[in-house]
Amino acid sequence: MAEEKLIYLDAGTTYSKIIEVGSDSLSADLKDYFIRKDGDKTYYILPSAIIKQKNIPVRRCCGHMTNASENEIIALANGAKPIVDENATILDLGSRDAKWINFQSGKFHDMDWNTSCASSTGATVEMLLKFYNVKRDDLKFNKEKFAVTCGIFGLEKIMDDISNGASPVESISKFVHGIAYNAWCFSKKPDKIYLSGGFCDNKCFTDSLKYYCEVVPLGRFMLCEGLINADTKELVHA
Amino acid sequence: MESKKIGFWGYPDPKVTEQVKRDYPSAEWVDLDIDFGAPDRSILPESYCKIIKNIINNTLDIKPIKIIAPIGKDKCDSGWFAAQVLKDKGFDVIETKYEQTTDKNEIVIADSNLPLFDKFNTIMNNIITPKKYDLPQSEAKFGFWGVPPNDMDILNLFPNETHIYGWTRCVEAGTPADIELEMYVEPDVPTVFYAQAFCAKAQLAKYLADKYNGLYIDIDDYASNSIKAKVEAFLRLR
Repeated sequence: MAEEKLIYLDAGTTYSKIIEVGSDSLSADLKDYFIRKDGDKTYYILPSAIIKQKNIPVRRCCGHMTNASENEIIALANGAKPIVDENATILDLGSRDAKWINFQSGKFHDMDWNTSCASSTGATVEMLLKFYNVKRDDLKFNKEKFAVTCGIFGLEKIMDDISNGASPVESISKFVHGIAYNAWCFSKKPDKIYLSGGFCDNKCFTDSLKYYCEVVPLGRFMLCEGLINADTKELVHA
Repeated sequence: MESKKIGFWGYPDPKVTEQVKRDYPSAEWVDLDIDFGAPDRSILPESYCKIIKNIINNTLDIKPIKIIAPIGKDKCDSGWFAAQVLKDKGFDVIETKYEQTTDKNEIVIADSNLPLFDKFNTIMNNIITPKKYDLPQSEAKFGFWGVPPNDMDILNLFPNETHIYGWTRCVEAGTPADIELEMYVEPDVPTVFYAQAFCAKAQLAKYLADKYNGLYIDIDDYASNSIKAKVEAFLRLR
């Protein structure tokens, strides 16, 4: 009987995150998407647009782009719980939605999930960067922020700002600050946020969020780690 | 021969209901709040309460000979406006206000062990043809606060031990304008506070969700997979 591969997939709207535990069966097929190896875990990130054609035999998965076997917010909770404080807010900001959970005294206390509007999430920022041909790492924290109630209205503010003489870099940075402020408010304004998801790699975003609270980046694999923990450790919801 | 239809919404004054039943003993009663898939007549704005859109679209589709239209605190301002629109369209509309808060019926269905979906149906079917029920009661594991959702399928996510609060509980009590009862929940029961998108009751739903550490959701038309996942996460983590 073939040995079951320990492959865990978080198939987000834009990017899919994969951790393989133990054997390294994906290294040839996914060599272009290799991120790192850490102990017996190998990490990959690839565009979700190609994840289905890869036909990867996953053990557990979550996310919009797959027939998920686990709920994303539960995967987030299971991933974060072993590594955060007893009282903690963990925010996962993805391409199209934002979700957070709060633990008090080590137990689940509160949550929310901004399930549909992309105004506060990565897809809008990626589109803006492409549209204005700006590199993410060129963005810099700006104390001024746009009120980002909607991605489309936010785009209008950027266009107005640029037509008034601001550079695209400056304007998008203000937009990103607006997203960070929204994310902080959405998470009920905690003193400290453990940040999960692609925005961990966006310095402009993390610096903007730090304007409001302490920020601890957890990286992009927190949901995958949660899928692994669900296999191997006591679950948050058990 | 096509049967004559009487349309109604909300919880009409029972005295008016009884009189119309005597006047039209063989008429079929139709709850115009319910989504029967009637074509959208584009009379109301695109972004508007789906329940009120159902009222307008159902009426124009089935053409009831008479409409019993609650317009007071037992329904909402939008119900009042809908009554005016339908009168202006030539329909025979009887406006009612049923705002008494005494002589409450005993709560049996809302706290019973029926599936949540069946609880809602039983309570709403009891408006026009009241029956006495003797049902086994359940100890609440969860609560669902709000009006009957346009998308009743979300009710199937909940266990049978889910109690109904909010306006629907008021309906079972026979006091649809009883704001004190509408704001009642069991504080220690994890409760989902639901509002139809663009409904003024969202104000209460959000406030009460914050007050009782529940989950606030609003749904326009039908629940997305993300909304369902959010509810599922709340039920599993709490």
